Amino acid sequence: MTGELAAVLAAEHAAIFAYGPIGAHLSGADAAAARTAEAAHRTRRDALLLQLTADGATPPPAAAAYTLPEPVTDGAAALRVAIGVEERTSSAWRAALAATSGDQRERVLSAYTDCALRATRWRRAAGVEPITVTFPGRPV
Amino acid sequence: MTRCHRTPRPVAAQSVTRCAPPDPAAAHTVVLTSRVHTGSHEQVGVRRRAVLRAVAVAAAAAPVASCGWLDGDPDPPPPPDPLAPMVAEAATLAARYQAAATAQPTLAARLTPIAEAHTAHAAELSRLTATALPSTMAVVTTSGSPAGTLDELRRAETVARDAAVAACLSAPADRAVLVGTIAAARATHLEALK
Repeated sequence: MTGELAAVLAAEHAAIFAYGPIGAHLSGADAAAARTAEAAHRTRRDALLLQLTADGATPPPAAAAYTLPEPVTDGAAALRVAIGVEERTSSAWRAALAATSGDQRERVLSAYTDCALRATRWRRAAGVEPITVTFPGRPV
Repeated sequence: MTRCHRTPRPVAAQSVTRCAPPDPAAAHTVVLTSRVHTGSHEQVGVRRRAVLRAVAVAAAAAPVASCGWLDGDPDPPPPPDPLAPMVAEAATLAARYQAAATAQPTLAARLTPIAEAHTAHAAELSRLTATALPSTMAVVTTSGSPAGTLDELRRAETVARDAAVAACLSAPADRAVLVGTIAAARATHLEALK
């Protein structure tokens, strides 16, 4: 279980980093959504740090910088990167489902679903159709 | 039968071969009498014994097979798969979205991908649980207006999402990912219905 949660933490570190440039290139409702999303990822990250430490593991630290899938130079690129960030964190949380049970699985499912929902909303904001995918977070 | 000089024997075939050729009036009283006129008595007797043996073997084998004696002790029926009802549920949702997409062409672009997702979920659940997909779906009537249709779908999707969440939380590890994925997908469907 520790390995899966460490992988989720690594994905959350990267998501928090990515929302910096994403938020800087969005305005209005999209910028507000980016701030809310970043805060949600920070909350999940902090919970993971506590969980892994409590389990006696050494949580992976955040890197100084992460390579984004494309340079975020405008709003359209920001939305594309935001979709990718949420899909990536969806995958990490989804992969942790099998390694958990009880309350912890409930938390993992909730975090996974939140990521899938944000990816859906970012697709809508970006005008991507359809806004849903058949198996959220499943590697294609 | 009065012209047969037979001794009491348990097997009818042997006694019949000892009969003299019967007259036509008596023909219907003797089993397989017509054969008696076309070949030697001994040949007919061999054929009849073979037939009767085959019938006896088949009759003896049938109850044995049906009792499961050849397969060892009969197993108790397996308990129903707790995820089996999700197969029909997903297939029903797919049919419901498809009917709504047909009835409300303005919603088709939103609803068709969700119908396809439910169909794909039903197929995966069918494989996972070894449960057959329902062959026919009940006709689902939808509300007259697009807003009413979306309301109905939201209600059905919410129930299905909650069921999938509960199923994921109680599922063994090897099933948690698929069922959790379906729960997350249903949550995104609700987002798309907004």
